[in-house]
Amino acid sequence: MPHETQPQRAGSYVGSSWKHEARAFWCLRRALVLNSVQVLLRESRLRVILVFSLSALFWLGLFWLFLDGFHFLDSSLNNPATRARTIAAIFNIFFLSLLVMLVFSSGIILYSGLFRSPETRYLLTLPARAERVFLHKVQEAAAFSSWGFVLLGSPMLVAYGLVNLAPWFYYLLLPVYVLSFVAVPAAVGALACLLVVHRLPALKVQMVVGAGIVVLLLVGALAWSLLKGSQTELMTPSWFREILARLQFSEQRLLPSWWLTAGLMGAADGDWADGLLLLCVLVSNALLLVQAGVWSARRHYRPALQNLHSDRAARGTLGLGWLDRAIDRVFCFLPARVRLMMVNDLRLFRRDPVQWSQFLIFFGLLGLYFSNIRRLSYDLSHATWVNMISFLNLAVVGLILSTFTGRFVFPMISLEGRRFWILGRLPIARRTILWSKFLFAALGSLIPCLLLVVLSDLMLRVVPEVFFVHLLACVLLCLGLSALAVGMGAKMPNLREESPSKIAAGFGGTLNLVVSTIYIAVIVILTALPSHFYLGAREADPRGILFDFDRLRLWMVVGAAASVVIGALATVLPLRMGFRAFDELEF
Amino acid sequence: MIELVDVTRKYGDKTAVNGLSLVIPQGELFAFLGPNGAGKTTTIKMLVGLLRPSAGVVRICGYDLVTQTREAQLRLSYVPDQPHLYDKLTGREFLQFVVDLFGLPRPLAAARIDREIAHFELADFVDDLTESYSHGMKQRLVFASALLHDPQVLVIDEPMVGLDPRSMRVVKDLLREQASQGTTIFMSTHTLDIAEEIADRIGIIVGGQLRFLGTVTQLEAQLELEGTSLERLFLTLTDGQAEPSARKLVRSHPP
Repeated sequence: MPHETQPQRAGSYVGSSWKHEARAFWCLRRALVLNSVQVLLRESRLRVILVFSLSALFWLGLFWLFLDGFHFLDSSLNNPATRARTIAAIFNIFFLSLLVMLVFSSGIILYSGLFRSPETRYLLTLPARAERVFLHKVQEAAAFSSWGFVLLGSPMLVAYGLVNLAPWFYYLLLPVYVLSFVAVPAAVGALACLLVVHRLPALKVQMVVGAGIVVLLLVGALAWSLLKGSQTELMTPSWFREILARLQFSEQRLLPSWWLTAGLMGAADGDWADGLLLLCVLVSNALLLVQAGVWSARRHYRPALQNLHSDRAARGTLGLGWLDRAIDRVFCFLPARVRLMMVNDLRLFRRDPVQWSQFLIFFGLLGLYFSNIRRLSYDLSHATWVNMISFLNLAVVGLILSTFTGRFVFPMISLEGRRFWILGRLPIARRTILWSKFLFAALGSLIPCLLLVVLSDLMLRVVPEVFFVHLLACVLLCLGLSALAVGMGAKMPNLREESPSKIAAGFGGTLNLVVSTIYIAVIVILTALPSHFYLGAREADPRGILFDFDRLRLWMVVGAAASVVIGALATVLPLRMGFRAFDELEF
Repeated sequence: MIELVDVTRKYGDKTAVNGLSLVIPQGELFAFLGPNGAGKTTTIKMLVGLLRPSAGVVRICGYDLVTQTREAQLRLSYVPDQPHLYDKLTGREFLQFVVDLFGLPRPLAAARIDREIAHFELADFVDDLTESYSHGMKQRLVFASALLHDPQVLVIDEPMVGLDPRSMRVVKDLLREQASQGTTIFMSTHTLDIAEEIADRIGIIVGGQLRFLGTVTQLEAQLELEGTSLERLFLTLTDGQAEPSARKLVRSHPP
């Protein structure tokens, strides 16, 4: 029965001070990182070596590219003022683009981090201050969203320093500049996310995704306007001046990207004062924005969370049952159980906005680019140039498809593990499940990929022989990449993980991405090189005096046949491996 | 102690909890029962500060959970049905993080951690990463973390899910022991046997409204079903085709 008195519980209800709370979160972060590193080194040494080697290779490749580029600018532009203006224009537009992208990626990451994560739900039941939880997640989002910037930006800035013979303090200031720059978009994204959810909870994800699409379209339109409107021939001095003039909007002095550019260039030129002054401007603004986020979170974080939950209405479906019925009829030649599983996968796909929105954005942007190829002032009179662009377009379609199969198809088998209590009891053979995944991925990717390739070829007006080679390569890519993702997903499932992105980022997912990239390269090279020689020869020697066209055409056929053999192997072998592994898998 | 004063919670047009008023005094073990979708989870979320009431007030030890969230949460502990643990922390690191957030001085914190490790027999695995724990081990760790700061109020959602009989016995004894030491315990459960065995009072919520509040004996008397199990009483009360006496009781306990 209830007690009348409460025993003394000294020291239990004081709560931690700001300083102690910060230290507790710092210790939490440090322990999580150290333990994760230890586990990785103990259990996934190969993966760590692979990731570090590929990253180092990527970094060195970029570094070499930038070094060469800056040397080229150095030797091509003799006037120091023009050279400085050109580099400033490049830096300004690069950092401004990154600034915009980082604002959106931080905002989107923070939406799930602050409002959808079990961790924050737990932390908010503890006496942790709301603003501390907010800051904890902002730091995490900043790290997640900006590692790409560090990987891309650091080789460029180091190469710039080396070519410009920058003094030692340039390298000293570099990490501080990068860190404070990254904090600005993270804080702006966090503030925007908080205020959108607080004020407009009903719009939430749809608004963020919609705004992201709008910004991407604006960036696309900007890039287009820079190239399309050019009245002069590409790569001439007047074209160059025109482009520089059009990029002037990115040189606004109130933009953090300008502070970063001007400060780093000043430091590289040995100007201590300018370098430090602009660093102070950047750091103080970053701190102010973070502080504004903290103040805002103190007042708005919990109410925003409440608003979001208050607005939670029953979710219906979009009434797309007709699509399921249409798929069922179109693929009536397939066994009924395979069709059933495919329709089920399609439902799951379309009811997950994360999946279809990324798919739509990537393929939409590619479609936008391909449909405007003729306006991009490429020199389309040279057959070899057209051929190169068309095969590069094919490779890009393949690479984007591989990110799709790696991110969404590869984890499908692992995720089925959680549903296997029902699937395993149904009268469906395990192979049928894998077949349905493969057909869903292959047929689902064939339609958009073929459309894109046909669009690209029509705009580039490629010759019929090459057009058919492209179609063949596209089909091989769709079949091979789908089979690799399904087969390797079944061979290396992660049945403990619930998050598809974490499954895709695991060792199996990384290996699948690497193998997929190699496969794309092999298929594209095998089909592109013979076409390249054939078209080059036809252009250089239209009468066939020096070259034997029949022989070159035969090479095209041999290349296509070799790609068919490799495509068949890449489709059959992973599927067989996957079938065997899936049959033996214990859930 | 826990006070809910005319608390209503809406999700859009749907009312999950409707005018709930309840006082649970210090040292009482209160079992909160109800069918699925009755409003139990929403009530718990309001009690731990994850949701704010659309109307009404929730107080923990006299502190309003909306305006004095931190003061209230310092006196509160919550054991959810599906607890969040950091996979890449050891049990000990997790306990240390919790005591740090409660601001316990270092020597006291160390003593409390040792006390709970012994209490829940965590010593064998407390230095392993929590990703390797079974459900029962996780649940024991979460209970340990919840008791580190000697809370005045303990809110528990489905405490027995996934526990083996021995662990269930440990938890039952623990809850009674905590209540006898003056901790107010609010326990939501579907396991009626446990409610019957250890609760001082029970509350039954149906459709967001409190249909019954009292002891099992009082429920038996009011339903005119003396000597009946709590399960039968619960089913009678929550059944749409309730017996006349149950319908009479529902009418006599308007929300």
